[in-house]
Amino acid sequence: MTAMSDALLEVRGLKVGFPTPEGLVRASDTVDLEIYPRETLGLIGETGSGKTVLGMAILRLLQPNTIIEGEIRYRGRDLLSLPEAEMQRVRGREIGIVLQNSGTSLNPVYTVGTQIAEAVTLHQGLSGPDARQRAVELLDAVGIPDPVRMAGEYPHRFSGGMRERALIATALACRPNLLIADEPTKGLDAVTKRGIVDLFSEIDRDHSVLFITHDIETAGDLATRVAVMYAGEIVEIGGAEEVLGDPAHPYTRGLLASLPERGMQPIPGSAPSLITLPSGCRFSPRCGCAVENCSREHPGLVEVGSGHYARCMLYD
Amino acid sequence: MHKKIVLAASLGIVFAYCAVALLAPVIAPYDPHAITGAPLSPPDRDHLLGTNDLAQDIFSGLIWGTRATLLLGFVGAAIAVTVGTAAGIVSGYYGGLIDEAVMRLLDVAMTIPIFPLLLILTTFFRPGIYLIAVLMGLLGSFQGVRLIRSQVLSLAVADFVVGTRALGAGDGYIMARHILPGVLPLAGVKFVTSAQHFMLIGIGLGFLGITDPSVVDWGQMINRASQNGAMILGLWWWLIPPGLAVTLISLALAWLGYACEDEINPRLRVMRV
Repeated sequence: MTAMSDALLEVRGLKVGFPTPEGLVRASDTVDLEIYPRETLGLIGETGSGKTVLGMAILRLLQPNTIIEGEIRYRGRDLLSLPEAEMQRVRGREIGIVLQNSGTSLNPVYTVGTQIAEAVTLHQGLSGPDARQRAVELLDAVGIPDPVRMAGEYPHRFSGGMRERALIATALACRPNLLIADEPTKGLDAVTKRGIVDLFSEIDRDHSVLFITHDIETAGDLATRVAVMYAGEIVEIGGAEEVLGDPAHPYTRGLLASLPERGMQPIPGSAPSLITLPSGCRFSPRCGCAVENCSREHPGLVEVGSGHYARCMLYD
Repeated sequence: MHKKIVLAASLGIVFAYCAVALLAPVIAPYDPHAITGAPLSPPDRDHLLGTNDLAQDIFSGLIWGTRATLLLGFVGAAIAVTVGTAAGIVSGYYGGLIDEAVMRLLDVAMTIPIFPLLLILTTFFRPGIYLIAVLMGLLGSFQGVRLIRSQVLSLAVADFVVGTRALGAGDGYIMARHILPGVLPLAGVKFVTSAQHFMLIGIGLGFLGITDPSVVDWGQMINRASQNGAMILGLWWWLIPPGLAVTLISLALAWLGYACEDEINPRLRVMRV
């Protein structure tokens, strides 16, 4: 893929590894992707495929002993080489993130309003009542009813969907250019999920969004482009319609075939351990189309259509 | 219900002692150092608790002595808890080498018995009540570091801490705003139990005569009484009141500590139901 200079965020050759007593966990291996202004990139993959790690790595939120290589360019600046103080100004203000586990992502000892106001106070220096006012506006903007009262409530009084909204409000507080949302629809019922998806379709008019999910349908609803991750690698990336309508990689096809409305056929086997990865193509042990060469050579991303790439021997 | 009575009683006793300490000049009828009549006179209307061998009023000594004991206990505990909490938060939050260094230092420090070390240190410096309080506070902060650190270890990896970092907050901000409130209840209990501990140590130092001689304290009173044969001569008014005063405040603080611990530790609460 050629580097495009008009991308808001460019990830180049990103490798993330966690040293463990059992060996190095390669949670992300040579990931390349870019996010353009005002687009939503859907990042799809199973649990453990490295989606969350990728999102956290962009904001350097991983544990200090994590090994990170490669480049993460935000508007041309490499985030991985920024000093911590500079990075703090990027977090929240330039790039916001909605973390997974909305249930525990709010501090139980402060009211929701106080915590949203925190973001505003940290970056815009607004004080007490002004920050408070902004917090109420933000809660209103993400669709919390009676925002003045709810701003004064503690997180345990919020339902799952409302907490998710509150976290989105926090992440949007300083109007970041890029919003990373890590499984914001996880664990929500269908109606609540619909509400969150609608909220995101409003948000992505003004913001670039990296929408991390294992929910293919949601990704299809929101994303302009989609990237599919498997075992720490991007195996397919391209326009949402192309990737989900005419998938090139056997893994993406398998994912789609496992949807309930498409016959619910699971992909045989299970995802490999990120410590001992299969040789050659990482999906080959589970792949129905695998040929002999698949377990020997590691395929690169091959262009299969306009802006549509797949990591598979079939197209070599 | 029983627990509430204990809590109220212990709080009442602690507040009463504080009031006495603050109002000592008003309550005490005499200067505790002044010669006020006949030596060794038993309690009467002029001397509520009699006089000692130097004809000093024991009741006044008891009242003024409250100051020294409370001051040692509370100043010492405040220093111990502040130092312990700060070190525990930094150690637990940063982890890695910093944590390792603090923990190994503590391992060494905790093998040193505090009381004998205090004895030695106070003989090197000119003994003053604040100096003793500070020394006690610093030496007594070790256990607190471990206690607080263990709590911080779980708080430091909480999702809301990562979330706050994701908003662009620095380490100092996170420790002050999101870690500290989580350990405050524990620090509060530690303050109460430390205060009790330090008061007893203070009495012990006074009894051994290693305190500020210009300050009246119960330890010195007990020392003087026992040295001069109060026990054998049956001069109960000389020996018993300071002893009772120590016992009562010590018990009250212990009860208060247990009551607070009960309140913040859900596991204890279930056990006692």
